[in-house]
Amino acid sequence: MIRLEHVSKAYKTSTRPALDNVSVEVDKGEFVFLIGPSGSGKSTFLRLLLREEMPTKGDVFVADWNVGKLSRRRVPQLRQRVGCVFQDFRLLNNKTVAENVAFALEVIGKPRHTIQKVVPEVLEMVGLDGKSERMPYELSGGEQQRVAVARAFVNRPLVLLADEPTGNLDPEISQDIMLLLERINRTGTTVMMATHNHSIVDSMRRRVVELQLGQLVRDDARGVYGVGR
Amino acid sequence: MRASFVFSEVVTGLRRNLTMTVAMILTTAISLGLLGGGLLVVTTIDRMQDLYYDRVEVAVFLSEDVSANDPECSAEPCSSLRAELEATSGVESVAFESREDAFNRFQQIFESQPELRELARPEALPASFRVKLADPQRFDVIAQEFTGRAGVDRVQDQGEYLEELFQTLSGVRNATFAVALVQALAALLLISNTIQVSAFTRRTEVGIMRLTGATRWYTQLPFLLEAVVAGLIGGVLAVVGLTTAKTAFIDVVLADVFEAGIVPRITLSDIAFISPVLLLVGAGISAVTGYVTLRLYVRT
Repeated sequence: MIRLEHVSKAYKTSTRPALDNVSVEVDKGEFVFLIGPSGSGKSTFLRLLLREEMPTKGDVFVADWNVGKLSRRRVPQLRQRVGCVFQDFRLLNNKTVAENVAFALEVIGKPRHTIQKVVPEVLEMVGLDGKSERMPYELSGGEQQRVAVARAFVNRPLVLLADEPTGNLDPEISQDIMLLLERINRTGTTVMMATHNHSIVDSMRRRVVELQLGQLVRDDARGVYGVGR
Repeated sequence: MRASFVFSEVVTGLRRNLTMTVAMILTTAISLGLLGGGLLVVTTIDRMQDLYYDRVEVAVFLSEDVSANDPECSAEPCSSLRAELEATSGVESVAFESREDAFNRFQQIFESQPELRELARPEALPASFRVKLADPQRFDVIAQEFTGRAGVDRVQDQGEYLEELFQTLSGVRNATFAVALVQALAALLLISNTIQVSAFTRRTEVGIMRLTGATRWYTQLPFLLEAVVAGLIGGVLAVVGLTTAKTAFIDVVLADVFEAGIVPRITLSDIAFISPVLLLVGAGISAVTGYVTLRLYVRT
């Protein structure tokens, strides 16, 4: 589902490449933690998958797309099949919960009746069915992140990318979000999550890919955060 | 693409930056109004040229000898001059005006000024040929051909006076266009700026749209339409402004001039004729500016 072949990414402003000759393959339906200290290249990794950045060297494949060679025109097709969630939720504060989720479908031109059917379903799935008319600022951080997850998932993406989704949440709430991501993963969606959160990685015992200074230093099928090198 | 979605985004965008939007619309309106004014001046000049050059004649004044002794233009050199003039290509008609005729016409023209009429003597006025040219620009040929000939005093082109008049009018037109151009530049910058502000205030939306795979058109069309709508409103205001200026100002101030037929009237249909141009220019320029701005400043 995701394949990086000798991928390097250098930013013009930096002497050291953000990613240095990284090769990884992730199968369909896998759940992968992407770990490493700040500046190790996790975000760059995710941004390459979304084609927010272009690789300097090597090839990035998502589903059947060679992301780096994708024409401008076809980038939206890729992004429609890749959902993403961020640390800061990125909700629209002037729209209700339901509207926030619906927005993701409206902007890709889904018909109204589909939107009206799918949005309540996904809100129920993330446990927000009673709060669809609330505004984001009326919700707790955990609830806001659920909205964000609902929005990322509502179009049934092949891949869900999460960049520090629990970074702003306390441990208990984080656990809930992880359960939600696991549930999404069980529907067959490949999940890739960049995180610093030791306890989550340790307790989930999923595949762990570790980056340091842009290099891939570890790839464990059932890893923990700190040890096991 | 869902029209309702795009439409609501456009309305939200225009309302969100209300002051900027108003500034953008007004500048566009003034610029287009001036452009329209310039176009109307051009129409007027064209019409005046038709009107005046139609009446313009070349006068070939005859010498004292001919004026005094040949009132019918039946003897040499007058009769052969006439024949030659008539044979010259581009000459539409030739009329002989004897000293007597000239004096009568003089009396007519200055009917209201008896002192002048008193002073004038027929002997002071030369006889002449009044030559109408098919193409008034052909004056030079006549001048070259007939200046200095026996019996000819001098050749005069009435068109010269008109040239000066039209030069002044062309100057007015050019000045109008120049101001319109400067205004247009200001309008362009404002449009560009408004779109940037608009894109900035909506960066979260745009970011989400991009990441959820909205196409470029979906993301950017609202911004583009915002500019186009503003441009169109500007165009409508310009047309309204021109109409108001015509009925409330031009028609009043120039009432006498119009009445006398010195300057052809500017009609509402003239304005109606140029208004599609103004609307198109307004919408077109906004669209192009918007597109370029989005290309330069907004990532996809």
